[in-house]
Amino acid sequence: MEALNSALDFSDFPRLDIIIAGALGGLLVIFPATPHSAFAMATMIQFLMFSLYGMGWNTIGGYGGQVDLGKAQYVGIGAFTTAVMMVRWDVPFWVSMPIGVCFAVVWSFIIGYPLFRLKGHYFAIATIATSLVLKDIFEVWDFVGAACGIEISPIKYNPPDFLHLIFKEDIYYYYVILGFFFLGILYVNWFRKSRLGFQLRSIKDNEEVAKSLGINVHWAKIKTYAIATSFVSVVGSFHACYIKNIEPEDTMSLDISILIALMAMLGGAGSLWGPIIGAGILIPLKSYLKEWLGARAGLIGIDLIVYGAIIMLVSAVEPRGIWGIVEKVRRRKRN
Amino acid sequence: MDILVSSLFAGLLIGMVLAMMALGLTIIFGVMEIVNFAHGEFLMVGMYTGLLTAQATGMEPLLTLPVAAAAGFLLGIICYFGFIKFVIRGPMVAQLLGTFGLMIFLRNLALLFFGAEDRAIHQGILVGKSFDIGMGIIAPATKLAAAALSVIAFWVVWLVINRTKIGKALTATSLNAQGARYMGISTERMNALAWGIGGSTVTIAGALLVNFWSVNPFMGLLFTMIAFAIVALGGFGSVPGAFFAGLVVGVITEIPGIWDFLTYIFNFGWMADVPMTSLKYMWVYLAYFVIMIVRPRGLFGWKR
Repeated sequence: MEALNSALDFSDFPRLDIIIAGALGGLLVIFPATPHSAFAMATMIQFLMFSLYGMGWNTIGGYGGQVDLGKAQYVGIGAFTTAVMMVRWDVPFWVSMPIGVCFAVVWSFIIGYPLFRLKGHYFAIATIATSLVLKDIFEVWDFVGAACGIEISPIKYNPPDFLHLIFKEDIYYYYVILGFFFLGILYVNWFRKSRLGFQLRSIKDNEEVAKSLGINVHWAKIKTYAIATSFVSVVGSFHACYIKNIEPEDTMSLDISILIALMAMLGGAGSLWGPIIGAGILIPLKSYLKEWLGARAGLIGIDLIVYGAIIMLVSAVEPRGIWGIVEKVRRRKRN
Repeated sequence: MDILVSSLFAGLLIGMVLAMMALGLTIIFGVMEIVNFAHGEFLMVGMYTGLLTAQATGMEPLLTLPVAAAAGFLLGIICYFGFIKFVIRGPMVAQLLGTFGLMIFLRNLALLFFGAEDRAIHQGILVGKSFDIGMGIIAPATKLAAAALSVIAFWVVWLVINRTKIGKALTATSLNAQGARYMGISTERMNALAWGIGGSTVTIAGALLVNFWSVNPFMGLLFTMIAFAIVALGGFGSVPGAFFAGLVVGVITEIPGIWDFLTYIFNFGWMADVPMTSLKYMWVYLAYFVIMIVRPRGLFGWKR
């Protein structure tokens, strides 16, 4: 009960923020009622999925300051667990999703225990390495479909099937992921005020001091890593039902891991709204750039050139992200 | 037995080129503690430079090395002054993602200009020739030449770093940048030099590699990860470490051949079923992970 109160309590934000956030949240709820193209709908679903990935990353990478570039492996674990269970044994989404989370968390403990002995760059590259190892294994493992991946055939089901999350219209998927999105916000809002959240921030500021205050640094990091993992794995399971055709190459590639970290950084890592702002900018930008530029003949790759240039610009000019700019402006006003 | 010896030999040969490639990464990391994700893309630039110069001028591919080295030096300097200089002021996550942005940028620039198809060198005096050394080893001449030239280039860079004044200034900067600044060394210039040397060594490796390896815009990441594994094994910032680690990682990339040998010796049915060729590079990633966990300093490392 106390945790719920804490999760619903946004009173430490300025009133303006709450009003803007509430208005935007309302807009998200009524978005499907407004006239929109199918492409806009798909982009919005992507945006919500990636905000959730970003929120998960933000717990360990933003509040904890541990740059994790291997989140794609958990997308893969979640997505493949759901897809394999649904195709082989017809298990509903709501059963296979928690099982996927269990797998992902167990795997995160197995690799997290040795990983968190490393710091900084070494940690970041090691997470990439584990992610690529897992991807290579999935690419040769026949049980999960090897390199061709696995396809959930919607013909067997009778849409709308709420148990297996097989729908014809994107609007159902939109509301399911929107529900997860609001739950995610509440969870992170609780998390940042919890004991673990404060421990993590002190670890980020100064690990030695945190240790001397009696915080079990290693264990706190592993626990938070597992939390971040479960976020990503849940959305991975959703991804399997939404996309229906998953391959190791798209679900577990390094680009996904980087995109997740990048969104949180662009929006402002270590703040509640940061990953959402980052996803809100980057995902539409990426898909519309691809739509406008990528499809033209003779200009293959130009959308990603622009995208790469934006990443370089952000990291060189304002590495603390958009939320960092907002806070800077506020601090100046106060003084 | 033949298959084991020839895999080991092939591993050592490719390892020498890989060591040359990783040298740039370890120098850059040693001097300024920044990890360059675009390293594999630098290699790709070197490969395209070598390939296009050879095709445009009809020159012997191995003689394009100076062109590639100049291109790499320029690329490194431009990257430093145009981009890295601004990124190093920020937090670590900005450095990691920033160089990743550079990687995407270069990769897709190459895609735009050169297209997605594989390109390889088909002409040249060494292409297609090979030597039978005995013991079942048949060494392609291009690989032998590339390995030999890598070793020579590596040795030259080692001499520059250890025997010249500018090399000593570079070492001083990597040991203690602040102290070096007090001694009147322009650390800014040393950082730029590290990027220049780093860029030119990796493009030289690229121009050597293109003699027997086809090039496409997407090959960079694999080589970036191989370079990370080599640098981790040799110790971040250690030049001799990079050489020996390169040989080890070269042998690791030949694990499928060694596995064939073991399958032949032990003759278990399940061993033949393991799709070892597809898992070829997994061992490199795994090696990085294991090295970092077991011995984070690497074999010759002095920096943590």
